[in-house]
Amino acid sequence: MALLQVRDLTKRFGGLVACDSVSVEIKEGEIVGLIGPNGAGKTTLFNCIAGFYPPNSGQVTFEGQEITSLPADRVCQLGIARTFQVVKIFKEMTVLENLMVGGFVRSLNTGKVRQEAMDTLNFTGLAEKKEMRGGALTIADKKRLEIARSLMTKPRLLMLDEAMAGLTQKETQEALELIHKLHQQKITLFLVEHVMEVIMPISHRVVVLDYGKKIAEDVPEKIINNEEVIKAYLGDKYHAARRGH
Amino acid sequence: MILPPVIQKRTSMFTTEIILQTLISGLLMGCVYALVAVGLCLIWGLMEIVNFAHGQFMMLAMFMTFWMYTLLGVDPLFSLPLGAVLLFLIGIATYFFIIKGILYTTFLAQIFATFGLGVFLHSMAQFLWTANYRSIQNPLIAGRIAAGKIFIGFPHLAAAVMCVIGFIFLYWFINKTEIGLALQAASEDREAASLMGINSNRIFAMGWGIGSACVGVAGVLLSNFFYIFPEVGFTFALIAYVAVALGGFGSIPGSFIAGVFIGLVEALGGLFIDPAFKYFSVYVLYLAVVFIRPQGLWGRY
Amino acid sequence: MDSPKSNWPKFLLYAAMAVFLLFFPAIFTLPFPQHIMIMIFLYAMLAQSWNIIGGYAGQISLGHAVYFGCGAYTSTLLLVKWGLSPWLGMLAGAGLAMGLSLIIGYPCFRLAGHYFAIATIAIGEIAQISMVNWKGGGGAVGLYIPLLDESFVNLEFHTTKVPYYYIALGITAILFFVTYLIEKSWLGFYFRAIKGDLDAARALGINIPKYKSIALAISAFFTAVAGTFYAQYVLFIDPESVLPLMLSILICLVAILGGVGTVWGPFLGAAILVPLSEFTRTYLGGGGRAIDLMIYGALIVLIARFQPEGLMGMIKKFR
Repeated sequence: MALLQVRDLTKRFGGLVACDSVSVEIKEGEIVGLIGPNGAGKTTLFNCIAGFYPPNSGQVTFEGQEITSLPADRVCQLGIARTFQVVKIFKEMTVLENLMVGGFVRSLNTGKVRQEAMDTLNFTGLAEKKEMRGGALTIADKKRLEIARSLMTKPRLLMLDEAMAGLTQKETQEALELIHKLHQQKITLFLVEHVMEVIMPISHRVVVLDYGKKIAEDVPEKIINNEEVIKAYLGDKYHAARRGH
Repeated sequence: MILPPVIQKRTSMFTTEIILQTLISGLLMGCVYALVAVGLCLIWGLMEIVNFAHGQFMMLAMFMTFWMYTLLGVDPLFSLPLGAVLLFLIGIATYFFIIKGILYTTFLAQIFATFGLGVFLHSMAQFLWTANYRSIQNPLIAGRIAAGKIFIGFPHLAAAVMCVIGFIFLYWFINKTEIGLALQAASEDREAASLMGINSNRIFAMGWGIGSACVGVAGVLLSNFFYIFPEVGFTFALIAYVAVALGGFGSIPGSFIAGVFIGLVEALGGLFIDPAFKYFSVYVLYLAVVFIRPQGLWGRY
Repeated sequence: MDSPKSNWPKFLLYAAMAVFLLFFPAIFTLPFPQHIMIMIFLYAMLAQSWNIIGGYAGQISLGHAVYFGCGAYTSTLLLVKWGLSPWLGMLAGAGLAMGLSLIIGYPCFRLAGHYFAIATIAIGEIAQISMVNWKGGGGAVGLYIPLLDESFVNLEFHTTKVPYYYIALGITAILFFVTYLIEKSWLGFYFRAIKGDLDAARALGINIPKYKSIALAISAFFTAVAGTFYAQYVLFIDPESVLPLMLSILICLVAILGGVGTVWGPFLGAAILVPLSEFTRTYLGGGGRAIDLMIYGALIVLIARFQPEGLMGMIKKFR
């Protein structure tokens, strides 16, 4: 049985259809990539799944339970965590405190949560910075902090929204290592990414959105050569040029 | 329809004339509220900072008018340009000395920066000029116009007309001049505007200056017929906030219309319920609007 | 983690303060300084209550006087009409204030920052105007608290201020301890998360309306308790003294000056503003001269501009 099932999800903003009847299934333990040109509806899909706004139609099922119209805090309690495209950390709290906020959804015991936060800090390589103010971190560390914080909610499914955006080569490498560690912890991952060199090697499957519609879903090797995908990213003219008039 | 006793008692005294009189008074006063609201809206829409000292700016304009009249014999009519210029300068000064430094700080700090300024100005006025009520005894613009059994105070009419003119001028300025368009651009997207060569500091200062000048004009006009005292700013400011919320933050025409509407609500509330409740109705109106339609009637958010 | 050695100065400071406060009325035996301290405690109570919703949770309420008035009027009316003990009246007033806060919070918490702040002003003004026009509650003339025999049970003392001092000290100490517990617990973390970033908080499983309501309810409870204490101390209340916008502003001011989101901030703020107010009133001119308010206003602007974290922020920098 799939961990997450999205069926015919549609989300409209006024006249704009951000997600058009999108269906996707994610099995436990998978790493699934979500790509598509800007404005394709990737973040909107995340927001609908995570409960930030309800879809206009369609269904979202998680671990067999329907979560379509549940609010974001309930979705988190049920085991889905997500990060944000524009990183949202608690600037005035320390790194350690940031993590502790995430831990309280599983336990109200401050001492226990603090210990878990320390463990998670060690796991994600942020332990040295635990007393630093959140707002003082580099962008790479902020993204790492957001991931660490969401780990504190003990998610079964972690949705990362452009976790690699704006990172240097070295930072990207470190982020990839972290993702690999998450995968080893048996956390299912659903990743939105723009950086192809990053997402193709690590994903088991890749889903491609364009103008709100799912235009392809396959293993990465096949996606790279998929005609529709190339057309979506590079436009019809290039596609025609490629085919060799 | 069974009306509550407090309303029933009053409706028996109503004639068409009284209602018409009330509506006209409300309309005229509303135009003044409208200009005050537009000034606030300009600043608010420009940089999402509420000028909690807006009412005190108006109070300063009123006191300036009073002292010009009492000490130098200058009639409020001639103080009008002076009030506009003085408040324009005060607005710019406020921007450079206070606002510029809090643009990127916490929300709390932003509220309290202007809030503190308001408290300071209010108590400074009390300190310098005492809490006594002052009025201008013999302004040039005086007297009444009679239309049948309805009396329209000339100062009220003049104030309303000038405020409408002020609004029209502002609207033209915002939409038809380069600076005005720059203001709009900066309020839509600060970064994009700066990429276009719009100096955000100068534009913001300009916004503060013009917004304050609006409230300065309203204040001078009010001095013709309203009492002048340190607390006068509070009520007008609150009404301006309600108007801006009602009209939708960021919409200048919306704020103007809302201001006029509030003038009517206040007048009718005073008539149908009780004079003590005229501001009550305005507050209830604000809550009703934000609870039911948080983005206001014309708002962008 | 802090080494035991570095904690000593802190403990000594706290111990010294505790001793000083406990023996204050024995050292300063005149009513005037005792009155000043009682006022400091009162404002510390109010500012700390506001701090919970405004400082920690970041919801700027500019109409907190409504809860103060609720406490003052409830206990007084219950005493006047049914002879109910002021202590029970205090609980009733605090409970009523909590209920009021839930009613106010439910629609208001959906509003974004500025809208919320102005809504709280509107509610405060509505409350004041209503009480002015409610003859049954004393109207504009106000209510005198019936003179009872001097006793702890009656929460009234006529010959000395000392018991008032210790009651105020006790309530303030309890409130500060409660705030300390909140800060260290999940509640404190959740409040600060709400202040920090709403979306992030939601994504971490925090039910935002629920926790905003909890913060406001706790805040309203203690503000109302302060209201009852005030009524029993001054023995007269009216809309002008317990419900005005200016009081709501002063409460925020004290909290901000001291440092929002800290346990000691409100006490620091009160300890500075109350004596300052007395000093300017006594030495720089009669009532209505408003010099103390000028100083307050200038202080807020300076703090907002240069030191939004208040005095506690400055102290932390020097550590």
